[in-house]
Amino acid sequence: MFRLLFYPATRYKRPELLRGQSVDIRFEAAGVDFGGRTVLEPLTLSLSQRRIGVIGLNGSGKSTFARLITGLLNPTRGAVALDGLDTVKDAGALSGRTGYIFQNPANQIIMPVVAEDMEFGLKGRGMDKAARAAAVSRTLESLGVSHLASRRAHELSGGELQLAALAAVLVTGPDTIILDEPTNQLDLKNRRVVEQTMAGLSQQLVVISHDLPLLDGFDRVLLFHEGRLAADAPPAEAIARYMEIASP
Amino acid sequence: MNTRDLVLVSLFAAIIVALGLLPPITLGFIPVPITAQSLGVMLAGTILGARRGTLSVALVILLVIIGLPVLSGGRGGLAVFAGPTVGFLIGWLPAAFVTGYLSERFAAGRANGFAQLANLFIAAVAGGVVVLYACGIVGMMLVAGLPFMKALSGSLAFVPGDLIKAGVAALAARAVQAGYPLLPVRS
Amino acid sequence: MKSLHVEGNGLFHRLPIRAKLLLLAALGIGLFLTRDPRLLALGPALGALVWFTLGLPLREALGRLRPVFLTIVIVAAFSFLVNSKEEALLQLLRLTTLMLFAATVTATTTVSAFIEEITALARPFEKLGLVKADDIGLAFGLVVRFVPEVLSRYEAIREAHKARGIKLRPLTLIAPLIILTLREADQIAAAIDARGLRRH
Repeated sequence: MFRLLFYPATRYKRPELLRGQSVDIRFEAAGVDFGGRTVLEPLTLSLSQRRIGVIGLNGSGKSTFARLITGLLNPTRGAVALDGLDTVKDAGALSGRTGYIFQNPANQIIMPVVAEDMEFGLKGRGMDKAARAAAVSRTLESLGVSHLASRRAHELSGGELQLAALAAVLVTGPDTIILDEPTNQLDLKNRRVVEQTMAGLSQQLVVISHDLPLLDGFDRVLLFHEGRLAADAPPAEAIARYMEIASP
Repeated sequence: MNTRDLVLVSLFAAIIVALGLLPPITLGFIPVPITAQSLGVMLAGTILGARRGTLSVALVILLVIIGLPVLSGGRGGLAVFAGPTVGFLIGWLPAAFVTGYLSERFAAGRANGFAQLANLFIAAVAGGVVVLYACGIVGMMLVAGLPFMKALSGSLAFVPGDLIKAGVAALAARAVQAGYPLLPVRS
Repeated sequence: MKSLHVEGNGLFHRLPIRAKLLLLAALGIGLFLTRDPRLLALGPALGALVWFTLGLPLREALGRLRPVFLTIVIVAAFSFLVNSKEEALLQLLRLTTLMLFAATVTATTTVSAFIEEITALARPFEKLGLVKADDIGLAFGLVVRFVPEVLSRYEAIREAHKARGIKLRPLTLIAPLIILTLREADQIAAAIDARGLRRH
């Protein structure tokens, strides 16, 4: 549980966060019941910070919370809105505004080759082939992973998969990106690459993680416990509360 | 069709293609090699049901048409359709459909009993042997001009192998049904 | 997975795919309109001329046709025994011609051109509510993407059998292979929806 303990004591320098526009994510008594069970209790809050961490034990409601933001899941009670647009009623207008990096990024790369996969996400957005190709190479370059363009998805390592999935999301230009355990199963080097890449993004990030040092310097951390928001505080405070909850 | 169905159809097509990459067994002097791939067709019907099973088989056939070497032994491309055994390929479509229909009708939602296994086996034989061979034989009659009896006798040598495959398909389908049920119930 | 397309700039490479497919269909009908073996003998000769000048190394050019040609020869031999000499010859000439030209169309057309053509052909069926034409390209991509995954999973299951000292049986390999593969469907579907890949 406390993977924190296994990280080396020496910290490396993180690049300064870039400043960008932030989306206002608003929960209005939004909750989810599923099969007669409450997965997420009705929750009211407003998130406009640029770096938001989400922590909690397995099955505490973290992923449900994140899925509500992207409209992958509709609230069974209340409503969720992004910049005033309802995730259910205005789903059309919101499409493309958020991106989601899933826990297992291997499953979100749909086309055989990285650049093909990225380009596929741009189809039907009124861009011609040349514009799509340009957007793909620009995005890969901005992440410093141009060498991945013609690689086959099934040959990528864990860290490369994570970056390829991120590239495929970034190329479509979302304002908010949700990352579900982005450093899960990565070795230390790849973890650092992902951490540094995240730090360089100008978008609003909502990061679900068991990797607590990753949330250092975040604006706000939400702790979920048994389907309820148990803490909403700066990282140190929320993590301290998490330690109490998690003690066996 | 919802996204999940689309993905299931595609993943199953990938499984059928992968089964074809295992080495085929050729029996003597007869032009149709025994492959795990036709097992895949029976599995598509018994596991995904009629609609999705047929679609996943159709997807494999489309991949053959567009020139990917997805058939056993790395075959693919339009040249395959010039072969006299083309009926055994086109026949995958009705074979998967019949297997799927019968599985939905008689094997879905049943307890894991012997009856379910028997019904899955019958469904696999009806589609993957009876219907498939009917298509293959008609194909040989049309393309190669063979008389019915000759086309039939030329194909019979493969029936025992395919019956074994139907048995494997029924057992595997039941195991999948227990672990990750997907078969729609049709009454 | 490598496609069977061959780079080139000959006549067949430049013809649009629809023209090639129509020509092939016309050839398929035309070959059955005559029973003159001298006329039909032109087919394989022309076909071979086109096929062997596409720029494929000879070894591969022969290798690609081998499995199909083998079934054609075997069934023609069978036909020779049970039908007539003439029938067997006609069949050999016709099918060999078709095989050569079909292989040529495949080798001179890119996979993406085929996908575009199939998508265009599926458009009219969209109105009937049968398919979404754009789903076809997505489905093709998914299959090509996941075949290697299925194969490596097969390898992993095989290793797990060995590690536990379990004998390899088709059944104990195939059932877990299918379950493990299909279980990914929910996540992949969620990713497709999250990325808005079907909202064209």
